[in-house]
Amino acid sequence: MSRLEKGLAAIAFALWSVLLVGMGYAGHMVLAPAEAHTIRVQGDHSLPLLDEAWGHVRAHFIGTLPSDTLRNYGAVRGALTTLNDPYTTFIDPQQRAVERDHMRGQFGGIGVSFRQNERGEIVLTPTPDGPAAKAGVRDGDILFSVDGEALPAAAELEVVSRIRGQVGTPVTIEVLRGPERQRLRFTIVRQMIEISSVTWRTITSTSAGRLFTIGYLKIASFTERTGAEVQRAVSSLLEAGAQAFLIDLRDNGGGSLSAAVEAASTFLKDGVVAFEVRRAQPETEHRTRSVPVKVEESQPVVILVNNNTASAAEVMAAALRDHQRGQLVGVKTFGKGSVQLIFELSDGSAVRVTAAKWLTPARHTLDDAGLTPDIEVTGTPAEQEARAVEVLRTAIADRALK
Amino acid sequence: MSLSHNNSKAKWAVALGILGAFIGALAFISGIAVGVAFARPGGLLDAGASPFAASPSIAANSAAVNDTAAEQGRQSGLNYALINDVLRRLRTQWYGEMPSSAQLTDGAIKGMVAALGDEFTQYIEPRFARLLNEDISGVFEGIGATLRQISSGGVQIVRVFPGTPAERGGVLPGDIIEAVNGVSTQGLNSIEVAALVRGPRGSEVTLTLRRAGRARPFEITLVRERIEIPLVSSKMVGDGSIGYISLFDFSQPASRQLEKHLKDILDKQPSALIFDLRDNPGGLLSQAQEVGDIFLKQGVLVIERDYRGNKKVTRTTDRGIAQDIRMVVLVNGGSASAAEIVAGAMQDRGRAVLIGEKTFGKGSVQSPQTLPNGGQLRITIERWYTPNDRAIHGVGITPDYIVNSTPEDLREGKDLQLEAAIDFLTTGKTPPPTPFPTLEPTPRP
Repeated sequence: MSRLEKGLAAIAFALWSVLLVGMGYAGHMVLAPAEAHTIRVQGDHSLPLLDEAWGHVRAHFIGTLPSDTLRNYGAVRGALTTLNDPYTTFIDPQQRAVERDHMRGQFGGIGVSFRQNERGEIVLTPTPDGPAAKAGVRDGDILFSVDGEALPAAAELEVVSRIRGQVGTPVTIEVLRGPERQRLRFTIVRQMIEISSVTWRTITSTSAGRLFTIGYLKIASFTERTGAEVQRAVSSLLEAGAQAFLIDLRDNGGGSLSAAVEAASTFLKDGVVAFEVRRAQPETEHRTRSVPVKVEESQPVVILVNNNTASAAEVMAAALRDHQRGQLVGVKTFGKGSVQLIFELSDGSAVRVTAAKWLTPARHTLDDAGLTPDIEVTGTPAEQEARAVEVLRTAIADRALK
Repeated sequence: MSLSHNNSKAKWAVALGILGAFIGALAFISGIAVGVAFARPGGLLDAGASPFAASPSIAANSAAVNDTAAEQGRQSGLNYALINDVLRRLRTQWYGEMPSSAQLTDGAIKGMVAALGDEFTQYIEPRFARLLNEDISGVFEGIGATLRQISSGGVQIVRVFPGTPAERGGVLPGDIIEAVNGVSTQGLNSIEVAALVRGPRGSEVTLTLRRAGRARPFEITLVRERIEIPLVSSKMVGDGSIGYISLFDFSQPASRQLEKHLKDILDKQPSALIFDLRDNPGGLLSQAQEVGDIFLKQGVLVIERDYRGNKKVTRTTDRGIAQDIRMVVLVNGGSASAAEIVAGAMQDRGRAVLIGEKTFGKGSVQSPQTLPNGGQLRITIERWYTPNDRAIHGVGITPDYIVNSTPEDLREGKDLQLEAAIDFLTTGKTPPPTPFPTLEPTPRP
């Protein structure tokens, strides 16, 4: 994945990191048909109070009033805070669009990443051979306007959502270049930009004349495409002769529960990946799915985790451990044991609702208590990885002795 | 809410009316006197000193702004479809127990009000509004600390007064209040938290506090007391030739007590005067005017602009007892509201040199409206400007000479701002204090 998209993805991910496991429920995610405007909470007579309160504000407030939209969003946010659940939140349309792109793992864009310089300006770096690079955008160009609108100060999310759009549609950007800050204009047609969530490589070493080949795959988050990406990574690694697998779930804040189940299915023969418990409903099982590529049970697996391993990533880590499929190496995980559903609302905003708790196959809950690794390694990321490799080499050697 | 001094009844009514407007001032949203009791005789005076006491009376007094709000609300364009859609999802999907409709409504009103981006416009939930109303009966006991709302959410202790339960119990400025008697402060504003903290003397209150450097929140249990903090203190400083007088707030007896102390000081024929308004959270506009009268000749004290675009000018009269003596006014980030009016007027009119730190920037008036559910909406209806038409609100008054002060200095008993003022008045110079503070002239508008 290009640096450029990484930049965008990182932003999306930052927003996403709170998000839990809930996007597998495609059915629920669909916008429900708008019902009549007369819906009322049962027995509720208090909503008119909002009108009355706002009437006072509108009549007497000395400052500028926010738009109706912002006020409505404020009301929804305020109502949600009374639940005292940090994971049940309102998402405005702009933020929702960026999250949706991230979960889909692809979006219409121009192939450019950006960072902010010390003056708060947005500095662009085009992806080599991407649409922006082909149009002539250069590394270091400073973004000045998008579709004729000057940029608001320090609004990265705003920039992302303005540049992205439907594949095939044009976007016009103006940039400032060089010390003279020459203003240049480019019109670029948006293309499909893919964000990969999985990267992989082999780690090879020789010891006592023996060659050890470990397949390393890092899952950065669980998007709709992660299951397929894991399949592709594992089959490449098997082709490269991987004898064991190191799954890196460090700093993976989660994402789709369904994707985690699918990814776990690559390494588990069969069984339950997670239980899901809803209020006043029988629990449901998420079982392994049939996937084309399965890693042999005889091939050792180690999972790297840290304190940012959360949600869907914890589902996968816990499932592999409970099935004694692999050991956890690293530090204690975040501990987020709830599942959120995302409901898109009529105006493009969305509400994320904690709808369930999940349990590991051994029926452990995770809230407020993350997964304690089997082998605790508190050192640097490189030290953690080295330790994991060592565990796998020992396992490979042990297996050869049997 | 014009000022009138025709008869005592009018004065009473006006005082109450203005009180309402000033609730935010003492409470200065970010700094609410929690149970700072002003144990002075006279029911009205007590009520006047309470940040919370006057609300019910005010509602009647502010009838002028209590017009057709409900009707306007009906055309307010609230998107019930969106709100109800969210509520329906919660009802069918949320894992936890749903809060009551009343709680959801309270939350929604708070969220709506937050969208205004004005921290002084606030909604007080009915359960707390009731507590505030009880305060009018004259119970002003508390723990002796002030609170402020912090931007990250949560309510923080700003100031702990010596000799109070808060100080003896080990409460420190900067502590964040997580819960009061086991009630979480999540989603509550500073006025609401203050209502929880206060209570009758002799009763216990347990604060759950979070403190920088401590991994977990901890509890402190305090016994509430009647808190008395002197309104005015005075002394001679420097080589004994400079009079120093400090005013704690602008509650009802402020000008009278100030004048009394001032007469004693003037009897000693000082060469100059230092008037300390640091950490003065403000109070009544009528008191700002009377205090202004003491030092200022005839002229503009403050300009008010209201939500209708009306402009009202409040003037000082020419009857003060200290109109000519050289003066320095000390201010800092805790100087707010009425204190900023007086300091700003004295600066604009060249009456005094201001030394210290930039003031808080609380130059607005809130009008309380009681809703049918018993909740209270405090809406910013007016803003204040100095005689030269400088905005106070959100800006603050920048002193002529900036001298910073750190909590460490104060703990060590050093008062660099006072020292700078004495230095300025005796030598006429402004030597930069060392090592930490800076002393630099700032441009006058």
